Amino acid sequence: MVRTSEGYDPLLRRPLSIHRVAPLSSPSQLALLFAVVGRGTKWLAQRKRGDIIDLLGALGNGFEIRSRDLLLVAGGIGIAPLVALAERGLAEGSQVTLLLGAPTRTQLYPSHLLPAEVKSFFSTEDGSAGRKGLVTDLLADFAAEAGQIFACGPISMYNVMASQGLQILRGNSVQVSMEVRMGCGFGACYGCALETKRGLRLVCKDGPIFELGEILWEGEKGGDEYGGYKENRPSDEGKLRSHRHHPSSEAGGC
Amino acid sequence: MNLSVELAPHNERGLLLANPVMTAAGTVGYGTEYAKIVDIERLGAIVSKGTTLSPRPGNPQPRLAETASGLLNSVGLQNIGIDALIREKAPIWATWRVPVVVNIAGESIEEYAELARRLEGVAGVSGIEVNISCPNVAWGGMDFGKSPEMAAEVTAAVKSQTSLPVIVKLTPNVTDIAQIALAVCQAGADALSLINTVVGMAIDITKRKPFLGGITGGLSGPAIKPIALYMVYQVSQAVKIPIIGCGGVSSAEDALEFIMAGATAVQIGTANLVNPNAAFEVLEGMERFMEREAVEDIAQLVGVANTP
Repeated sequence: MVRTSEGYDPLLRRPLSIHRVAPLSSPSQLALLFAVVGRGTKWLAQRKRGDIIDLLGALGNGFEIRSRDLLLVAGGIGIAPLVALAERGLAEGSQVTLLLGAPTRTQLYPSHLLPAEVKSFFSTEDGSAGRKGLVTDLLADFAAEAGQIFACGPISMYNVMASQGLQILRGNSVQVSMEVRMGCGFGACYGCALETKRGLRLVCKDGPIFELGEILWEGEKGGDEYGGYKENRPSDEGKLRSHRHHPSSEAGGC
Repeated sequence: MNLSVELAPHNERGLLLANPVMTAAGTVGYGTEYAKIVDIERLGAIVSKGTTLSPRPGNPQPRLAETASGLLNSVGLQNIGIDALIREKAPIWATWRVPVVVNIAGESIEEYAELARRLEGVAGVSGIEVNISCPNVAWGGMDFGKSPEMAAEVTAAVKSQTSLPVIVKLTPNVTDIAQIALAVCQAGADALSLINTVVGMAIDITKRKPFLGGITGGLSGPAIKPIALYMVYQVSQAVKIPIIGCGGVSSAEDALEFIMAGATAVQIGTANLVNPNAAFEVLEGMERFMEREAVEDIAQLVGVANTP
C-alpha cells in the first residue's frame, strides 16, 4: 500500500503489486509499475529520483508455483505482478509463456523488458500489435499445455475466463489477482470483501490471489447466512461483473 | 505528566485509560490484525468492530469511495457475530493490558439488551460502546440515535443488563445532537462518543448510478473534523459525563482541539487506515505539547476552549 500524498488528500493508500525484485535471492530493491489513472497515481508518477515513498507491505498472499509449465495472462497494467512471477518461475527452472493484451500497441508492456526466456504473445483490441482482440482470445491455443495458469487484469477478463474458459482450462488451477477498492490493506476496515465459495474473504488479507473457481461470479451468488449479501442489495448494482473500465483500476496491477 | 483519563467515573468498575487515545470502531477490526503491525498496548483503548447478534455479511461492493480529504464507506457492519467474538476474540483481548471496548449494534431494543447481557462477565471486555449511529444498515442502526426517546430507551435497556461501563456513540445526522446527548445521559450512559460518520453519497457518472453498493455511505476522515469538533463543543455544554471526540482526528493538534472543545478522550478512525502509526503519532505529539506548555495533567485541558 503506497501513500500518494504528503497529507491526507488523496486520503487512501493505493494498492500496488510488486513488479520486480532484485536480487531474486535476497531482494533489497523493488520496482512498482502502475498506470496513471487518477490523482493518486498522478502524484506518485511525479516523484523524482531520491524522493522517499511511504510504503506499507508486502501485504497479503502471492502466486504459488506448483508446476513446471506456467501460463501467464496479463490484461493491460495487469502485467505488473506477472513479471516478478515470470522471473521467479524461470529461476526455479519452469517454462514460462506470457499472453499480454492491451487496448492498443502503446499500452503494451515493452517486450525488451521481459526476461529473454519468456515466450510471449500479444493481442491488442485495435489490432495495432499481435492478434486483434482480447487477451482471453489467445487462451484457447495455450491452455491445454499449461500446468498452471496465472492471471492479472480487469474483472471483465476474469469473467470471460470463468464463463467460457473453464472447459478450455480443463479444471486447471487458475490463480487470479483480484482488484477491489481497498481502505487499509491489512484486514482492518472490511472495505475489500469478496464473495467466494468459502464465504466472504478480504482481498487485502486473504488475497489478492484467489483460485478463479473459488470466486463467486455473476449468477453464482447465493444468499446464505454468511456467504452472500442479503441486505441493502440493490437489484442490479454492486456485483462483480463485466465492466471494462473498472472504477477501482487505479492500482497498477491488482 | 499525567495522561490517564477515567471514562466512567460514576461506574463501579470504571474505565481507566493510560492515555486518551483510542481507536474508533470499524477501523482496526478486532484489533488482532492491527496488533501484528503496531504495539497496541501503548494505546488508551481499542474499540472493536461493530458487532451484532448474528454474523452479518455487510453490503455489496463497492464499499469505499474516496472523497476530498475523506472516505465514504458502506461496509454495512460486516462482522462475525457476538458469540464468535466472545469465543474467538475476547480470550485474546484478555491477555492484553490495553482495555477493549465492544461496539454493539442491534435491530431492536431487545437485541441491544441481549448483546449487553451476553457480554456480561466476559473476560477481556472492559466496556460497551452502543452504536445507535451506523448509517449503513437498513434496519435499526442510526434510527435509534435520531430520536431522544429511542436513544434513551436503548441506553436504559443496555444499562439494565450490564455492569460494564456504557459509552453511547451518537450520530451527527440529527437536528440537535445536544438534545440526544442529554436524553442518553439521563438514561444512565457512562460516557458518549461522537461523532459517527456523516451520511453522504457518490455517483458513478459513467454508469449514471450511485457509486456505492449500499447507495449511501458514511463520510469520515479529515473532511468531517470541523463538524465533529463543533458537536463535541455543543454536547460538552449540555452534559457532565465524559465525551470521546471522534471524526477526522489525524494529528496531535486535531486531538488537542477536541480535548479543548470538551472531549476527555479521542478516537482515531480513518487515519488508522492510511497510517497505522497515526494513534501513536497523536499520543507522542500530545506529550510533546504538554511538555512544551507545562501542562501536568491532560484534565487541565479538557473543555478549556469552552470557558469564557
